[in-house]
Amino acid sequence: MEVAAASDLWSALDVVLRRVCEKTGWVLGQAWIPNQDGTVLDCGPVCFCSGEDGLTKFRVASEGSHFRPGVGLPGRVWQLKRPAWIEDVTQDPNFPRTKAATKVGLKAAVGIPILSGDEVIAVIEFFLQESRATNERLVKVIAAVAAQLGLVMERKRAVEELSRTNEILQSILSSMGDAVIVADKQGNFLLFNPAAERMFGKGATQTASSEWSHQYGLYLSDKVTPFPADQLPLTRSIRGEEVNNVEVFVRHDKAPQGLWTRINGRPLRGPDGELSGGVIVCRDITEIKKEEFFLFDQSRVLEMIGANASLSEVLTSLVLLMEGQADGLRCSILLLNRDGKHVRHGAAPNLPEAYVKAVDGAPIGPRNGSCGTAMYLRKQVVVKDVMTDPLWADYRKLAEICGLRACWSTPILSPHGDVLGSFAMYREETRGPQPEELRLTQIATHIAGIAIDRQRAQETLREREARISLAAESADLAFWVIYPEQNTAWMSDKGRAIYGFDSQLPLNRDLICGRVHPDERAAVHAAFDRACASIGLFESEHRLVLPYGRTRWVIARGRCLQDEHGNLLELIGVTIDVSAQKQADLQLQIQREEMSHFNRVALMGEMTASVAHELNQPLTAIANNASAARRFLQRGNIDPVLLQQLLQDMVADSQRAGEVIRGIRALVQKDKNVARSMLNLNAVIADTLRLVSSDIVLRESVVITEMDHGLPQVEAVPVQIQQVLLNLIMNALDAVQACPPAERRIIISTRSLNGASAEVTVRDFGTGLPKDRPDKVFDHFFSTKQTGMGMGLTIVRSIIETHGGKISAENAPDRGARFFFHLPAVRGDSKSQAA
Amino acid sequence: MCDRAIYMTSGEKSDAEIVCLVDDDLSVLKSIERLLKSDGLSVRGFNKPKEFLSHVQTHSVPVVILDIWMEEMSGLELQAHLSGLSPGTRVIVITGRDDPAAKLTALQMGVVAFFTKPFNDDQFLTAVRGALAIYPMNERAR
Repeated sequence: MEVAAASDLWSALDVVLRRVCEKTGWVLGQAWIPNQDGTVLDCGPVCFCSGEDGLTKFRVASEGSHFRPGVGLPGRVWQLKRPAWIEDVTQDPNFPRTKAATKVGLKAAVGIPILSGDEVIAVIEFFLQESRATNERLVKVIAAVAAQLGLVMERKRAVEELSRTNEILQSILSSMGDAVIVADKQGNFLLFNPAAERMFGKGATQTASSEWSHQYGLYLSDKVTPFPADQLPLTRSIRGEEVNNVEVFVRHDKAPQGLWTRINGRPLRGPDGELSGGVIVCRDITEIKKEEFFLFDQSRVLEMIGANASLSEVLTSLVLLMEGQADGLRCSILLLNRDGKHVRHGAAPNLPEAYVKAVDGAPIGPRNGSCGTAMYLRKQVVVKDVMTDPLWADYRKLAEICGLRACWSTPILSPHGDVLGSFAMYREETRGPQPEELRLTQIATHIAGIAIDRQRAQETLREREARISLAAESADLAFWVIYPEQNTAWMSDKGRAIYGFDSQLPLNRDLICGRVHPDERAAVHAAFDRACASIGLFESEHRLVLPYGRTRWVIARGRCLQDEHGNLLELIGVTIDVSAQKQADLQLQIQREEMSHFNRVALMGEMTASVAHELNQPLTAIANNASAARRFLQRGNIDPVLLQQLLQDMVADSQRAGEVIRGIRALVQKDKNVARSMLNLNAVIADTLRLVSSDIVLRESVVITEMDHGLPQVEAVPVQIQQVLLNLIMNALDAVQACPPAERRIIISTRSLNGASAEVTVRDFGTGLPKDRPDKVFDHFFSTKQTGMGMGLTIVRSIIETHGGKISAENAPDRGARFFFHLPAVRGDSKSQAA
Repeated sequence: MCDRAIYMTSGEKSDAEIVCLVDDDLSVLKSIERLLKSDGLSVRGFNKPKEFLSHVQTHSVPVVILDIWMEEMSGLELQAHLSGLSPGTRVIVITGRDDPAAKLTALQMGVVAFFTKPFNDDQFLTAVRGALAIYPMNERAR
């Protein structure tokens, strides 16, 4: 028997031991191999003995020995990895088996390692019954045989290794969940693991892969279009392509529901790199896909909620979605009525109408079916058999007709924990919910809770809107909300009427501002922008120009609302139509002006002496000069210088008359020119006194002025301030008339109030004011004078207040009255005192 | 009427021929002076009543024309003073305002004429000349 033909190590060693002994005449050959740990050498089961019975004793001693590296002959060879020769083992200090050797007369010994690569896989030893010196040639012969054995053993071990790997691979392939398919270049299947058989059917291997598409129902992700044969992953990988994550829908006789698989493929290549076939790994992703579709459908329901679909539509979709997740499952949603005591139909697309009708309006309570009880108890109620459960006592007949046997119901809660309704699952067999059904229930109640809560919130909002609208209708107010982010706006019906918008027209801020009078539009826009930027208030009084040119006066007020992050949500506000009020204001303004004018005209009437005197003086001078000139001319000897002077004076006097008339005209003119200018009140007082000087003289009165020369300037309408002074002076003149002429004194004084305002006091020594309430003189129609209208001081006060000043009256300590008013100094003029 | 009289200064004329005039309005004063001069009368004008009062104490005044409405002193007050100082002086009153009460007072105090401005020049001059003519000779001689 050849060494190379030996099937394993032991038979090979057996051959070697015998061959060496026969050729060399050595009497005993034994083999040692390392134990499993590689710590000691054990004596192997094979040996060769040349027939002497005595040698078996040594054999027994060897079999009982175990050598560590370096110990005894085998240990020495094992450690050194080279042959070792002993001339006489009985004389060797490192030979533990000396005793046994001595008994059977063994002397010379040689040990040879059998190497596989660098590893000693066995040690063989041979003995002679006489001592002998080292024979190198013999050692080489034995070593050559041993080397041959090593090579054989190495090959054998590789084969063993391969078969073990194969076994592992096989077990992996057969136990793995993914389908693995290997095909050769022609598409013939080389490997088809059990998972592949499960996925594609047992007979699949009998069909060429090119025929697969229609034989095994491989479809694109639309589930109906057959997968193109030349695009199948296996075909592509055989062509040499790498295929990654291709999803294929599979439906055939053995998988009527269909399944989803995700496939990766790689080409197979021979040692030279030429294509030899392809391998694909298919993962069953049916469950993942199902969950994906389920999530997608859930998101569709949520989208419906977001898009404000009707509640019944949303709930019906939700029920259908849940029913589609399991066979034989029927579901329903009931709503809890606002009274919190009765149920209302929500959605039950696959329950008989009779059942739906019977349940709608039923009361909730501790024994009211699954749903009524669940809502009442606020917890899940599982009824495994409606025919026996006491909760269903009242509904048993109905359930029987409808073919319902089991029903478990879960309350639907709002985010605040209020019961909104219930979600129920029905089965036609008696059983309780499975974990998957409980999971579906949890999802269904969550989504239904969102839908119902949102619908309730919207209902509440609509009711509130309706109430606000109602309030707005009756209050002649426009309610509006502007949403800057969405560029939309809402306006109450009355508001649309006020703004002249059609009730259907979608609004936005630009449209609303577009109604504002062009003169005021920019200001209104700016006010809006300011309010938005500062999240503050909006207030504006402006005109609206409606279609067909109608104009309204409105006041609009609003404020910004923000979310919890401080972002602007909306600008909410009201607009009130103040056209009527504005009209009245305008009327009043006109009346006030009329009165003021009337007052001035009346003043002129009172000032007849002054007016007549002022005009008569220049007119008299002119007339006299003219008469004189005529007379001089009649005499014929006029001095040209005199004539020149005379004519000059006439011109000057006519101009003076013109000034007087202009002054009077300015005073009695209607308030055309109400422009304010910088005034020194001292100067105005002086001018006014000049105007009434004749009347003062005529009334035999004296006006004394005490002017503060550091009086700050004021900004005012000159004619109006003159009117104030005239009124006060004429009143004072009237007041002193009752006194003897010597006591008819009036003092007009001015002073600066810290430079902030200028004060004028008109003090008389007359009859004084009403004792109880001096301020009464400012009231309408109060007059102590027979000819008075009682309007003068009212107008005076209105003029002063219009100028931002204040006027008051009091009785002076000794006698007479004191009127004083002050007007604010022109800003920055407070230092004029020092100047 | 002689031409020379027209240009005679007041200084050259005797006081008995000079008409005094009191008006606080300078423009009116000048115009009346001219009117009187244009008719050949001699005039002495006073812008302030007090100046006239001191004049009358040292001069003989046959005729004075007084304006009623003056700021310093009204013509009627002045007339009251005058009646004490120079009872023989004839007073003509001119006024810018048709004031019946003032007119009555003036007439009661014995004025010879009362004119409301603006007045008719002929009537005015006639009144002045009339007043001059009836000025008592004894006064004139003084």
